[in-house]
Amino acid sequence: MRPFTYTGAKTTAEALKAANANSNSHYLGGGTNLLDLMKEDVERPNELIEVANLEHKQVIRNEKGGLTLGGMLNNSETANHRDVRTWYPLLSMAMLSAATAQIRNMATNGGNLLQRTRCPYFFEVSMPCNKREPGSGCGALTGMNALHAIFGWNDKCIAVHPSDMAVALAAIGATIEARQTDGSSRMIEIAEFHRLPGDTPEKDTNLEAGELITAIHLPRPDFSTHYYYLKIRERASYAFAIISVAAGLQVTDGKIIKAGLAMGGVAHKPWKLTSAENYLSGKTPNQANFEAAARLAMKEAKPLEDNKYKVKMGEKAIIRALTQAYQRKA
Amino acid sequence: MKTINASGVGEAIDRVDGRLKVMGMAKYASEFPVENLVYAQGVNSTIAKGRIKSIDTSEAKKQKGVLEVITHLNAQKLKAYDKVRPSYTLTTIAPILQSAEVNYYGQFVACVVAETFEQAQYACRLVKVTYEEDKPDIHLNKNKGKAYKPDEAADYLRGDIDAGMRDAEVKLEETYTTPIEHQHPMELHAAIISWNDGKVKMYANQQILHEATIAVADTFMIPKDNVEIIAPYIGGGFGSKLRINKHIILGTMASKMLGRPVKITVTRQQMFTNTGMRQFDEQVMKIGAKKDGTLTALAHYTTSHCAIDVQYYETCGNVSKMLYNTPNNEITHRLIPLNLQCPDSMRAPGEATGSFALECAMDEMAWKLKMDPIDFRIKNDTQTDLGAGKPFSSRLLKECLRIGADKFGWKNRAKQPGTKQEDNWLIGYGVSAASRNAPYKKTSSKVIIELNDGKVHATIQMDATDLGTGSYTIIAQTTSDYLNIPVAQVTVELGDSKFPLTPGSGGSWGAASYCNAARVACQNAITGLKNKKNISLDQDISVSDLLKQNNLNKFEAEGTAEPSEEFKKHSVFSFGANFAEVWVDKDTGMYRIKRMVNVGSAGKIVNPKTAYGQIIGGLTMGAGMVLAEQSKIEPNFGNFITRSLADYHVPVNLDMANIEVIFLPEEDKIANDMGIKGIGELGITSVAASIANAIFNATGKRMRDLPITPEKLIEAKVEKGVA
Ligand SMILES: Cc1cc2nc3c(=O)[nH]c(=O)nc-3n(C[C@H](O)[C@H](O)[C@H](O)COP(=O)(O)OP(=O)(O)OC[C@H]3O[C@@H](n4cnc5c(N)ncnc54)[C@H](O)[C@@H]3O)c2cc1C
Ligand code: SF4
Repeated sequence: MRPFTYTGAKTTAEALKAANANSNSHYLGGGTNLLDLMKEDVERPNELIEVANLEHKQVIRNEKGGLTLGGMLNNSETANHRDVRTWYPLLSMAMLSAATAQIRNMATNGGNLLQRTRCPYFFEVSMPCNKREPGSGCGALTGMNALHAIFGWNDKCIAVHPSDMAVALAAIGATIEARQTDGSSRMIEIAEFHRLPGDTPEKDTNLEAGELITAIHLPRPDFSTHYYYLKIRERASYAFAIISVAAGLQVTDGKIIKAGLAMGGVAHKPWKLTSAENYLSGKTPNQANFEAAARLAMKEAKPLEDNKYKVKMGEKAIIRALTQAYQRKA
Repeated sequence: MKTINASGVGEAIDRVDGRLKVMGMAKYASEFPVENLVYAQGVNSTIAKGRIKSIDTSEAKKQKGVLEVITHLNAQKLKAYDKVRPSYTLTTIAPILQSAEVNYYGQFVACVVAETFEQAQYACRLVKVTYEEDKPDIHLNKNKGKAYKPDEAADYLRGDIDAGMRDAEVKLEETYTTPIEHQHPMELHAAIISWNDGKVKMYANQQILHEATIAVADTFMIPKDNVEIIAPYIGGGFGSKLRINKHIILGTMASKMLGRPVKITVTRQQMFTNTGMRQFDEQVMKIGAKKDGTLTALAHYTTSHCAIDVQYYETCGNVSKMLYNTPNNEITHRLIPLNLQCPDSMRAPGEATGSFALECAMDEMAWKLKMDPIDFRIKNDTQTDLGAGKPFSSRLLKECLRIGADKFGWKNRAKQPGTKQEDNWLIGYGVSAASRNAPYKKTSSKVIIELNDGKVHATIQMDATDLGTGSYTIIAQTTSDYLNIPVAQVTVELGDSKFPLTPGSGGSWGAASYCNAARVACQNAITGLKNKKNISLDQDISVSDLLKQNNLNKFEAEGTAEPSEEFKKHSVFSFGANFAEVWVDKDTGMYRIKRMVNVGSAGKIVNPKTAYGQIIGGLTMGAGMVLAEQSKIEPNFGNFITRSLADYHVPVNLDMANIEVIFLPEEDKIANDMGIKGIGELGITSVAASIANAIFNATGKRMRDLPITPEKLIEAKVEKGVA
């Protein structure tokens, strides 16, 4: 690891000031992603500003009738919080499917959103990777890409975003609150938070340098009865999703009033299935409609050399997640 | 006569070293307090084939604390291989940094020595190497033309395969592939090494000490008595710590050059490239049988790879020589030199992978024959090892299969694949037979019996190692039993190459060899004490009375156990059967191993508790072969893209569900006096096949390429002929 200095920020203002003063600094949440990447020489900050101990560690009710989750609260406490479990079981389920209990105890909500891709080319500094070293090429495109994107990629980068939490947040429609270095706050919709690779695959999100995530705002809970997070993976825990689907349904009088659907493991960002959501709205929750929605969602899929299986798997996963969500009794 | 407190052979006592381990007091290789220590760290090549053009160490050397950067330009001269691709044995030298040649990605090209671990690690990043790069050979398929026969033992023929296939009424020819895997013991490879005036002392986690001293001595061209290795505790090896790996040589060289003791550690990432692996195997199975299930032919052809400069191969085909009664049998092994590190032994080398091919093929044949897979195996059972031309010392395979079937509820298996369903799950049952050679080797030990305030205490020593398996415990139990004293009055001292010679830990020979050596030392002690006083050997008298009558408060005896003539006239194997119930999601490609029943016939079980641990560990590793374990090679660069335990997936607790382990009561007195046979590798053997066979029973899909991942399962087609 390269030498670095450590700044233990006591207040948000201190953290912002330190970040503003050093463009080569990084905030340190739980460190479960950042420290690994520093050991691999992928991330090379010369200063770490610890933010995991700042005050943003609560779950409170917000004025929209939803909950606000502290940016520095850890993943375990968030997922196991009584109100989160009761009103946003989809989020809880997604978060608890991630990593291990030990990692979730360390990982912060802010850090989770900003964890970087697990693309193996990104992790190995001797291989080409546009995300790590812009202009060096995308090793995965001409190499191994079974675990890469089927939506929204271009030949600059075909990586997928690894967070389970973010997929549930996309289905739910959360808003991220970020503090800028001048102390002011801004709100970013989850759909606008992560980005597609475009010409700058080195940028995972639209967060600006030095911006600090302090909260995640959740809208009024619509999916606390019919929800399911399906995660397809090689082993029963401690593995990133090959494909995941967050499905929430609001059903009244035998009709779907609202559907929330997002997919993980398929794109550079949590992939919101808007066309399927729209299709389902107003329809009867049955197998035929779930199948039609799944087909619609996968229509735009553009698989790579090694990940053609994801199209079929994705379709099956959507159908299954919707079926499970509908059949679920809260 | 057994005193109340003696915890002898056969009892399920707790590990005698358990408390030390739980309290963190058991010292592992990198934990010994050694003064004046410096830290060494290897730098890996970033090409798979070519030559080093230049190495710029100036930046690294400028860093605080950095003492030396060793490269091929300033390295000590070491012994070179005396021929092209010698066999990679336990005593094979491990020359490193001897030229500019690079043979595989990750090969050590430099070694940084610094005052602290962090300084060494950081400076490694600053060593700038440029290469003249060649196109590496990393694909087995593209290099088939280079396949060669590695040695005479690689091929075997009995009868006439073509004739046997002509006689057959039902035939099968299929290819099975298993990926490169890595052993990944929990404890990373590490050593603390001091070179002093041509003498080397090291704390190193080697499974087999004596051979390791020879390998180090030979590499440095010094007398073998000049090397001492201490390894009291080892956190797993699974074969990766059998041989001397290159970091040991780097560390020794650094100590020699700097005149200070050196700690060298290998990172988890380096454990993919510098400490061994299981090879990729492509196995072609050919089977012929009569309609009644009688085998007429069985052929097993394996193609694999070795390193450019050394050769190793796991003998996948050997299991097909001996498991079934077939007059016509052909085995071949071929190797293709590739730009990859040399494969080496990984738990049950040959058996784990070979049994996957054989036992899946047997299941496929049973299906074609419309026979129950258990009946088909029993039909072709044999009490003679046809491959070796000797009778088995004992073989309870039929019993394992029958008893297992009963415990497992085999009768509830669906006859037609894909017909047993619960909600979204397709349920399948699978079975496989297991066999593992049970070697027994010449082993010595020394017992020191002391009398203190009327209380006897025995200390037993041998250069054996305990990889976490329970060697300490079963040696203590044996000593307790044969001296007839409580186990609390026994101290076992292992892991010092100065202690009496043993074959070390590997190949499942440890338990039988160590326990019998302890037995002989104890028996010699008692006989010695009796003889001194002319006491009849039959007389029942306690060790403490013997010491008292001899007027001694200390007595030492050595003992050596070795295979008998009877042993040599027999083929000695452990046998087993594994049963698996697998639930396959009908749509998503995910599946769960719901339960397994494993029946083993492995001679006398010295300690049921540690023995269970071995089988459960073996089953887990076997399940890992199916679920996810694989090290993927990047096709353009030749490096492993699986490079930490985050992407090299081993099973988690949740994957393992219910396991029942049954040992058939047995003592194989031909195997050795105590009737013990190996179990360490029996447990992993055939597990993969039982799961793959269960997946077929659940889905009608034949999965012949490990691991069976969701993406493969979702794309696989149902076999022709399955409704
Ligand atoms: C082996 C392994 C398996 C895993 N499996 C899964 C899985 O299955 N599913 C899944 O979703 N995740 C998984 N994870 C990832 C894990 O969820 C993330 O590592 C974790 O959420 C990151 O949070 P952190 O607080 O530790 O972030 P850190 O590592 O501390 O930081 C990550 C990034 O965020 C920045 N940052 C941190 N906090 C803030 C903030 N408040 N504002 C602005 N920037 C900030 C840091 O500067 C850094 O760039 C796994 C991780 C590991 C190591
Ligand atoms: S997919 Fe993206 S992260 Fe992976 S190698 Fe290509 S550019 Fe890098």
